[in-house]
Amino acid sequence: MSATDDLAWLTVAAAAELLRAKKLSPVEYTQALIARGERHDKHYNAYLRATPDIALADARRAESEIQRGEWRGPFHGVPYGLKDIVDYAGLPTTAHSKILQDNIANADAVVTQKLRAAGGVFMGKLSTHEFATGGPSFDLPWLPARNPWNRDHFCGGSSSGSGTATAAGFLPAAIGTDTGGSVRNPATMCGIIGMKATYGLVSRRGVVPLAYSLDHVGTLTRTVRDNALMLDLIAGHDALDPGSVNRAAGGYTGQLGRDIRGLRIGVLRHFYTRDMQADAEMAASIDGAAKQLGELGAVVSEVSTAPLGEYLAVNRTILTSEAFAVHEKWLRERPQDYGALARERIMAGAFVRAADYVNATRLRRKLTHAFHALFEQVDVIVTASAMDPACRIDDEKAVDYTYGRQARAPFNVTGSPALSVPTGFTQSGLPLGMQLVGKPFSEALLYRVAYAYEQAMPWANKHPDLR
Amino acid sequence: MADHDLTLDDVRGMAADIGMTRLNDTQLQELLRAAGAARARRASLHTEMLHYADEPSHVFQLNDGGRP
Repeated sequence: MSATDDLAWLTVAAAAELLRAKKLSPVEYTQALIARGERHDKHYNAYLRATPDIALADARRAESEIQRGEWRGPFHGVPYGLKDIVDYAGLPTTAHSKILQDNIANADAVVTQKLRAAGGVFMGKLSTHEFATGGPSFDLPWLPARNPWNRDHFCGGSSSGSGTATAAGFLPAAIGTDTGGSVRNPATMCGIIGMKATYGLVSRRGVVPLAYSLDHVGTLTRTVRDNALMLDLIAGHDALDPGSVNRAAGGYTGQLGRDIRGLRIGVLRHFYTRDMQADAEMAASIDGAAKQLGELGAVVSEVSTAPLGEYLAVNRTILTSEAFAVHEKWLRERPQDYGALARERIMAGAFVRAADYVNATRLRRKLTHAFHALFEQVDVIVTASAMDPACRIDDEKAVDYTYGRQARAPFNVTGSPALSVPTGFTQSGLPLGMQLVGKPFSEALLYRVAYAYEQAMPWANKHPDLR
Repeated sequence: MADHDLTLDDVRGMAADIGMTRLNDTQLQELLRAAGAARARRASLHTEMLHYADEPSHVFQLNDGGRP
């Protein structure tokens, strides 16, 4: 392995230590990751717009500040990327769509402000599914991202580039968004960590909306600790985001390393065994992970809730209705400027009756109340994220079949924190994963459980061999 | 919306009613599939679970300044 490859797999936490101690130059680190992206990304399409000039300027600034002893914290001098529905002032926010290809952001999104203020090194805008819903698509101005573990396969979405770039070692941390599972899907498909925190914990201001009441901004990293560090940085109240929760945030690394003995883990098996039948390797890996948590001292039992289909119907009814409200004008005036997948998925909201939308929000309240009551019995829930490993990206039928076979959207409905954690690999070498779900604002606990599992089963040490 | 199976002409008319007059035939086929998916989804909404007093999850609230 070359020195460049060693830098590619540095975690945020490890890089921060080296940078702070002046044993690693932010400029050399950034140059190495730029070079890696330039060498490989033509096969993976993680970047919609790489910004090496900005990255090097950020890195030089970080270097001189650190040299002066002005270390700002764990993201100082550390590269990151943004899904291209998140604003970075002065650059286009395209949402991977011809509709917005000239849409120059006039201000940073709140998460961008926080990453810049922390001294992060901005590497570029990352591929998404068009408007965070239509993909993987080959009829857009930019190609879809591909899976670093096998580039013939789908990398999940819609935060596709965020998953691919992080798993491929182009950067150690990326921002994604999640309305029906779009952070956790690429995390699962690419074998990394993806957090959708509690609704309202992270500001959405400066992010192109898909569905206002379901949208979350999330974090993708290769390790649990890095994810907690990134959430620490971006969480917090924003008075100008109407969904933002006014409460203290942070401390997400605080429980890492604590054992999980006595914690009550509920396995929500019916989602992936009865309501949908997960692929055998996927189901076995989730069951195996639950067993491993038991061996680490947790008290594991099975729990149940409403059938998965009820959550999915509520999610899709709300999502398509709110998305159509965002897109109606463009669909009237410029339907040809959408890719076929986004157009069809968004148009599904055109004829949702008002009563159906309202009833979906009424059911949402009931489902949420009942789901959160489960946390009187257990502390953390384990369930599937995806039902299937990544399919081939060029197999339209397989993409269509697997797209809706997921158990992530329920937690956009309930607003619960949900964390995708790798649980191994298929025999053919594709990642498998599970989801950990908690009661609102229990992110630190989810990280604690995920960290204990990660220490026992260090899948994070395995990296794709890019060719 | 009627409950019979929608045709392309039905969808063309429905689209026109909401100002979506620029869809070509391929895009109307997409809309036809999308409308079918939305109708199927409606059938999956278990509204029989709802009591008339069950409120939507969006509750209109005002802060002290009178802003929602």
